[in-house]
Amino acid sequence: MLVPLDRRCFVRSLRRFCISALVGAAVFLLGFPPGLAYPQGARGGTITFALYQEPELLNRYIGTQTALSEVTIFTVEGLVDYNDKGEYFPRLATEVPTRQNGGVSADGKSITYHLRDGLKWSDGQPVTCEDVKFTWQAVSHPKSGAAYTSGFRDIDRVECPNPTTAVVVYKTFYAPYLDQFTRGILPKHATGDPAEMTRWAYNRKPLGTGPFALLEWVSGDHITLIRNRFYRDSPKPFLNAVIIRITPSREVGTQLIKTGEVDIVWDLIEANVPELRPVPGVKIGAAPGPNAERLVVNLADPALDAPPPAEVAKHPHPILGDARVREAIELGINKQEINEKLLYGLATPGTNELGIGWAKCVTKVSEYSPDRARQLLDQAGWKSSPDGIRVAQGAKFAKDGTRLRLKLQTTTGNKLREQVEQLLIDYMKQIGLEFYIENIPSAVLFGSWSSGAFRKHGQFDVVMYTTNPDADPHSQIEGYFASWKMPTAANNGDGFNYARWSNQVADDSIKLAGSSADLAVRKKAYCAAMDELVKDRPHIYLYGRSQIHGYRERVQGWVLNVWTNVGWNAQDWSVK
Amino acid sequence: MAAYIGRRLLQAIPLLVLISLVVFVLLHLIPGGPMAAYGNNPNMTAADFARLEHDLGLDAPVHVQYLRWLGALLRGDWGYSLASKRPVLVEIGDRLPNTIYLLSISLAVTLGIAIPIGILSAVRQYSVLDHAVTTVAFAGQSVPIFWFGLMLIIVFHVVLRNPVSGAPLAPGGGMYTLGEPFSILDRLHHLILPVSMLAVVGTATYTRYMRASMLEVIGQDYIRTAHAKGAPTRRVLWHHAFRNAAIPVVTILALEVPVLFNGAVFTETIFSWPGMGRLFIESAFRYDYALLMAIILIGAILTIVSNLLADVAYAYLDPRIHYG
Repeated sequence: MLVPLDRRCFVRSLRRFCISALVGAAVFLLGFPPGLAYPQGARGGTITFALYQEPELLNRYIGTQTALSEVTIFTVEGLVDYNDKGEYFPRLATEVPTRQNGGVSADGKSITYHLRDGLKWSDGQPVTCEDVKFTWQAVSHPKSGAAYTSGFRDIDRVECPNPTTAVVVYKTFYAPYLDQFTRGILPKHATGDPAEMTRWAYNRKPLGTGPFALLEWVSGDHITLIRNRFYRDSPKPFLNAVIIRITPSREVGTQLIKTGEVDIVWDLIEANVPELRPVPGVKIGAAPGPNAERLVVNLADPALDAPPPAEVAKHPHPILGDARVREAIELGINKQEINEKLLYGLATPGTNELGIGWAKCVTKVSEYSPDRARQLLDQAGWKSSPDGIRVAQGAKFAKDGTRLRLKLQTTTGNKLREQVEQLLIDYMKQIGLEFYIENIPSAVLFGSWSSGAFRKHGQFDVVMYTTNPDADPHSQIEGYFASWKMPTAANNGDGFNYARWSNQVADDSIKLAGSSADLAVRKKAYCAAMDELVKDRPHIYLYGRSQIHGYRERVQGWVLNVWTNVGWNAQDWSVK
Repeated sequence: MAAYIGRRLLQAIPLLVLISLVVFVLLHLIPGGPMAAYGNNPNMTAADFARLEHDLGLDAPVHVQYLRWLGALLRGDWGYSLASKRPVLVEIGDRLPNTIYLLSISLAVTLGIAIPIGILSAVRQYSVLDHAVTTVAFAGQSVPIFWFGLMLIIVFHVVLRNPVSGAPLAPGGGMYTLGEPFSILDRLHHLILPVSMLAVVGTATYTRYMRASMLEVIGQDYIRTAHAKGAPTRRVLWHHAFRNAAIPVVTILALEVPVLFNGAVFTETIFSWPGMGRLFIESAFRYDYALLMAIILIGAILTIVSNLLADVAYAYLDPRIHYG
């Protein structure tokens, strides 16, 4: 016997116990968890914002998702930031450092920021140059666990001649220097040891200078931000609070905005628009963003493992190594139809990597001409065969008898991409090229060099996905299109030049852009590289995605900014 | 009995180690990994990538990673979430109360409906009521739960409105109205739809258990004896029949313990409920190995313990059962 107790008595007391336990549990559970009530109580001044991803944490130097900065933008600010035109504007600094205003030294290696007078953290402590210095020290600390260290390791020192002046001195010239402190300044007094950065309490409750301060984060449910009493620009912010509601999916958010339970729903897709447009009280904000869906075309023989430039020249891709075939593929794609049929006309036809922003380069949209595509393939030695798929007969790199057949890959579980693939198969069939599909989960496609990811190792024909340059496009342009950025064994898989494209003019232009502090010079250089890109087609751009958010009419003052996050001007928001 | 329990617990140890090993290896066999989150970021160099991979211990061979994990666990360290960098027990602690809250109330509602109906259905076997209950129970078990949840939202949140205020009849998700002070009524209001969703499936199952168990008991000799002695029907049913029929149901209840921990993935996802089910799914999408291992292993421990509990309770409640 476990307990010296008569069985009947046990059953009886069990019943009594059960009843009282149930009553007790019910009372306890209904009151649990206690949940923090919003202190001011007024709901008129509150905006609820639906986010379909929960941030991992709220430290922009560690975390990777967009959802993270959608939250921190309300509270964490950088020295400068991007406005809705993709241009820099000062946030904590008084002005954007330039050569003209003396903020950038002649060699471009020392950058001077002046902080606004009387700046305070949301706990009332002053913001000083020491915080800027600390941000650099913390992020560049080898044990920090920070993901975003680009540029920080190139900084030699941060000098603080007085509390409101920060002079950032680089070891070597760093072209995107204005990007350096856009992710936010870390408060030295409210963080901790840089070596312990991943364990900071700050990561869960960041202290910032922005219009709102973080009150609470209820895991999986919501994040409440309340008005920052020390915000520099009184009487702003106008709202009492912003509540970020974490929803399990985008679809839940679109339902909630219909009933008015949320005021803003983040990151809609084109297919949501016809559903939300007719709903009274709901508006759609959409603008072309930097995201460009493209076909990444492998110029090297996919049988080789990560060949360096010299090898690529010796062993081109048997089919795609011929520029005429790449041109035929682009001419065979009806970009207009993809936009109209699948994207409700909300996208822009793809042209090159720099479709918008300060470095925008205008190149012509490719025409849709299957006839011309067929001619090109004929010329390139790909002859029609009875089953409709062309066969090599005197092609440049392929053995005679090779079928014009290519593997097309994209991420699984994305309906839009699967529909685009169907159209592409159709278009290519009409010019005698066969695409066959082999989709893979995004975690595999975007896998690392060390995990043997096929994209990094160059073992593919054509891969379709979206990527985008930042407001400063340098890391993207260099990473994807400079010949020294092909991932190879020699560089431990560094870079994103998966197409394995090398072009002397593009290389020189990228080098020039990376060494100049003059935005006009850089823009011209990037555009020279883009002209080569459009000719050589290592990437074939399909369409540019718009950024689409839904909001209710009562939200006033919001301006869509595709370069940063929805809450970028939250200090100006109010409700009707 | 004590020896029996001791033996069962000892047997559980190698089983748990085996479970953890198999799950760990399976998780690492899934193509992709936590580092893929950084894979498309032009601001990260290969050196950054390698540094982070090393910091997280992901560059070691799988068996080394497993032994490190097991070693830390034996020292009582469940590790840190790869995504949030917080201790995994803190992550679980944030979500567990919400799951227990929802599921225990659903279970109470389920039993409150299922037990009387199951008994009634058994007592009036082959009556119209019995046929109706059996049919509805089958339907309840067969309905895809996610479809049913979405229907509840469409009908009671989107379509039907309060005729006076025009507000939705029931909230479409969440545990309480954000930004409002605490109110029991608001809590109850938010429970209506998710509890209904869980109770429909649960009730269907438990009604059938209760009915089957009751049917078996009321065919027994001692029930006939009780009737022959002239005991009133009510007393025979509740005192003689139900007590014995309830024994298998009580033991099945013990198996609900791991469910209370693991949560209800569909319900939590459809009703934006921040519980364990969603935590598990989100961690799976993020390849958050440490968190996944903790959830799976704690779930396994609870399953083993509750099975043992069920067996012990069975022996305790039914004197005919003995474990050597």
